[in-house]
Amino acid sequence: MEKQEPPPPIVLDPTLVHEPVTTTRPNQRIDPWWALVAAIVGTIIFLATTIPDPYRRILVFVQDGIGVSLMVTVVSFVIVLVGGLVGGLGRLSKNWLIHGIATLYVEIIRGIPALVQLFFWYFSFPSIVQGLGQVLNIPALQNYLANPVGMAILGLSFCYSAYMSEVYRAGIQSIAKGQMEAARSLGMNYVQSMRYVILPQAVRVILPPVGNEFISLLKDSSLVSVVAVADLTRRGREFMSSTFTPVETWTMIALLYLTLTLFSARIVTWIERKTRMER
Amino acid sequence: MEPIIHIENVEKHFTGVHALKGVSLDILKGEVVVIIGPSGSGKSTLLRCINRLEEYDKGQIVVDGISLNNAANINAVRTEVGMVFQSFNLFPHLSVKDNIMLAQRVVRKRDRAEAEKVTQELLIKVGIPEKANAFPSQLSGGQQQRVAIARALAMNPKIMLFDEPTSALDPEMIQEVLDVMLDLAREGMTMVVVSHEMGFARAAAHRAILMDGGLIVEEAPPDILFSKPTQERTRAFLSKVL
Repeated sequence: MEKQEPPPPIVLDPTLVHEPVTTTRPNQRIDPWWALVAAIVGTIIFLATTIPDPYRRILVFVQDGIGVSLMVTVVSFVIVLVGGLVGGLGRLSKNWLIHGIATLYVEIIRGIPALVQLFFWYFSFPSIVQGLGQVLNIPALQNYLANPVGMAILGLSFCYSAYMSEVYRAGIQSIAKGQMEAARSLGMNYVQSMRYVILPQAVRVILPPVGNEFISLLKDSSLVSVVAVADLTRRGREFMSSTFTPVETWTMIALLYLTLTLFSARIVTWIERKTRMER
Repeated sequence: MEPIIHIENVEKHFTGVHALKGVSLDILKGEVVVIIGPSGSGKSTLLRCINRLEEYDKGQIVVDGISLNNAANINAVRTEVGMVFQSFNLFPHLSVKDNIMLAQRVVRKRDRAEAEKVTQELLIKVGIPEKANAFPSQLSGGQQQRVAIARALAMNPKIMLFDEPTSALDPEMIQEVLDVMLDLAREGMTMVVVSHEMGFARAAAHRAILMDGGLIVEEAPPDILFSKPTQERTRAFLSKVL
């Protein structure tokens, strides 16, 4: 999305009556909620240095899990941003077939728990592919084995794109009808109007719910621990079962997730401020 | 002379409303036509049919030789037909300059330098060159509407449609918009204006048309229509607005 340059200072014409002009954005000061992020990180450091056994050991043990969780989340989210746009435009399509397919997708996917969907992609989907390979006698399909990380990303993306479709749809619908009419009346086609007029405005509107989806996805990425992905949650479980320190382990895991989610929330707020539009 | 806009027996239904009941109208090149009528009379609907922002159900409209019955033609027609809306509909995320430049770049495929030159000239024409870098929310209603006119003119349209261009304006800002429209009329632009600004109609329009109930009730040069209407409905309407 194109970044909006801050408007340059406006020379006020005193003979004209209009609303006061603000040339500075409100809230340029530092977001105070960064303090909460700092407090959580501080707690982690404090625990790891004062009680290294087990807190420091937990940190060392699960550190690669943090990377896996983040990777699964970020890759899925990028797919979700595209998939949601496609789904959202489909939901708004005047073509009954496209509209129907998009609506069916959203309704069905929203109605099935994410965990069940992950099980389907990891356990059922490979079986179906293998069965198909046998029927069609294609050895490559018969020997198909699911890649845990791949299936986890596919499952999360497929699931979250449905929610994101609704976010995009609501965002696009929130833009006044006159905007599309003005764009079309200038001779721009549907795609051009969407790209240059509607979406840049809609994206600003949907930033808060999109940020929400990201944080939600980050937390739900813990579900992939049940399909053999060594994410933060799974590493935590492994540490706990080998050391029998449930309180310390899950406290530390919770603090680590909190760090990631609170940090993400601050980033979203920061982007919101950067792209705020004078209305 | 071949009319630049040919409207023939156009009908339009909204759910439960028969908005246009067979309207026929020919508009010549360079002609300025003002359409008046009570709300719900179909005047805005007719105007919006001319660039197919509304699809009509029956009849046909031909603009500059291109039939609007074929949906494939609509972008070709829209490039030649500028439209100004009651609520301005400027793009709030773009500066004044970018509002005017966008379609020039995307549709007319002008390079940046040329589009900027056209934009600057048009801003001078509508009297607010100093607002090029302002955002729409920082302008008064009258200024916004003048930018909207400049934005439409940037496409070098052959026809300009105005849908109640001054209805959303504070009274003291109406004249600045009408002045820009008067200039355009003097330059020979073909204009179809839905408006109750009788002063503008008298000064600039070749023809005034009264619509009611989805039909054209009466048409005549504005002076004659306003002073000696032949239809009872025209008299009744004029007595309320004059």
